[in-house]
Amino acid sequence: MNVVPPALARLIADLGRLPGIGKKTATRLAIHIMRRPASEAQSLSRSLGELHGAIRLCGKCFAFSETNPCVICSDSGRNRQLVCVVEGPGDLMAIEKTGAFRGTYHILHGALSPMDGIGPDEIKIEALVSRVRKDKVVEVLIATSSTVPGEATAAYLIKRLQEETPAAVTRLACGIPMGMDIKYADELTLSRAIESRKNTCD
Amino acid sequence: MLLKQAPAVIVQVKDHGDSDKIVTLYTLDEGKISAIAKGAKRSKKRFVNKLELFSLLNVSYAPGRTTSLARLDQAELITNYPSLHQNYGQYVAASLLCELVLFWTREHDREDELFQLLTWALEGLAMGVTSAQLIIFFHVKMLEILGFRPLLNGCGNCGTLAPQAAPYRFSPMRNGLICGQCEHAPSGPGLEVSMQTIQLLRKVQELDICKLPRLHFSKAAILESIALLKRYDSHLLQRELQSWNYLQQLL
Ligand SMILES: [Zn+2]
Ligand SMILES: [Zn+2]
Repeated sequence: MNVVPPALARLIADLGRLPGIGKKTATRLAIHIMRRPASEAQSLSRSLGELHGAIRLCGKCFAFSETNPCVICSDSGRNRQLVCVVEGPGDLMAIEKTGAFRGTYHILHGALSPMDGIGPDEIKIEALVSRVRKDKVVEVLIATSSTVPGEATAAYLIKRLQEETPAAVTRLACGIPMGMDIKYADELTLSRAIESRKNTCD
Repeated sequence: MLLKQAPAVIVQVKDHGDSDKIVTLYTLDEGKISAIAKGAKRSKKRFVNKLELFSLLNVSYAPGRTTSLARLDQAELITNYPSLHQNYGQYVAASLLCELVLFWTREHDREDELFQLLTWALEGLAMGVTSAQLIIFFHVKMLEILGFRPLLNGCGNCGTLAPQAAPYRFSPMRNGLICGQCEHAPSGPGLEVSMQTIQLLRKVQELDICKLPRLHFSKAAILESIALLKRYDSHLLQRELQSWNYLQQLL
């Protein structure tokens, strides 16, 4: 006999489709929502319902935004000649949190992955190259992940940008994490850190 | 629990939830296996920088008791073939090698020779051997090892292999060639192959892998061979391997 009422079962199934949420967590979340006042559930459902209507992609950097261009692209205090290329919106948020970057972004929405059917035409590469040319971008900072697809995407972008635009292309330095003893760094990280060493007068 | 150890190549990596990764390994001792690496995305210590596509590792793992999913315990990096991620063409070719192994092999099906062939091909690619030609060598040799050798020694109907009987067509359905004399009006999706390409592919079938680099494929022979192998894959696997398209775009 099925003891879960259908409306609750539907919610559990919906929540279970979210990344990182298994059936147990989905059940816990659903029961939590049910126990709280109905107004909270209604507010949640409104937020979900309005999401796709309110959010679009910024026509310049392809960030999720309620406005086009997005807040960052329309901020005159940001350096538009410096563009940081990231794989996804989460990467943009991580860099923004540091407050260390005052340029603009370009979101690829993925990384090159031939096995998954993702080639140069499937992510926002063409748009980047033409933006760099049209807006006379001076520097492109490539901040893709240091995974194999992220590295391959960086290699592809560096070649395209160097061949087709006058912009300088830089990469995020890979090095020893803050607070880590050099002895415990893995070989690959350590050799990268040596490669991307910098002058102490900078 | 008893741990198994084996040299292995990572042929696929998938994120699993917020902190784990599921990797598909082609091991020397057990062929293809899938393994979960707990905490690989977060508490990095054990697996940092190691569980990446194409990497050659020494792994220790606990075989799954109820499922075929093993649990990865340790991984020691032998090489990560850095140049395969620093050049798009080499990246595409290496991805195709992995995709071929992924779909042409079954789990727990040991093939020592295929493991050697895979590391030989990854090494060659990393050293800059022409990607397309290396893919052809790997593919033909892989088919030999797995027992799916296409018959290229003559027309499957009359047995001849002579210029007078050209054009020859390759039919995956017949697992071989059919000459222009036996099939006047091509029926079905055969693929025309030149005498030159047929002879080259036969040489690849016969030669030892250490002698393969002596062979030289012309541009036309590369295009024909790639088209033939791709067709053979989609016929026998009943699916399209994604990486083929990106490789063909680069030719
Ligand atoms: Zn924007
Ligand atoms: Zn014939």
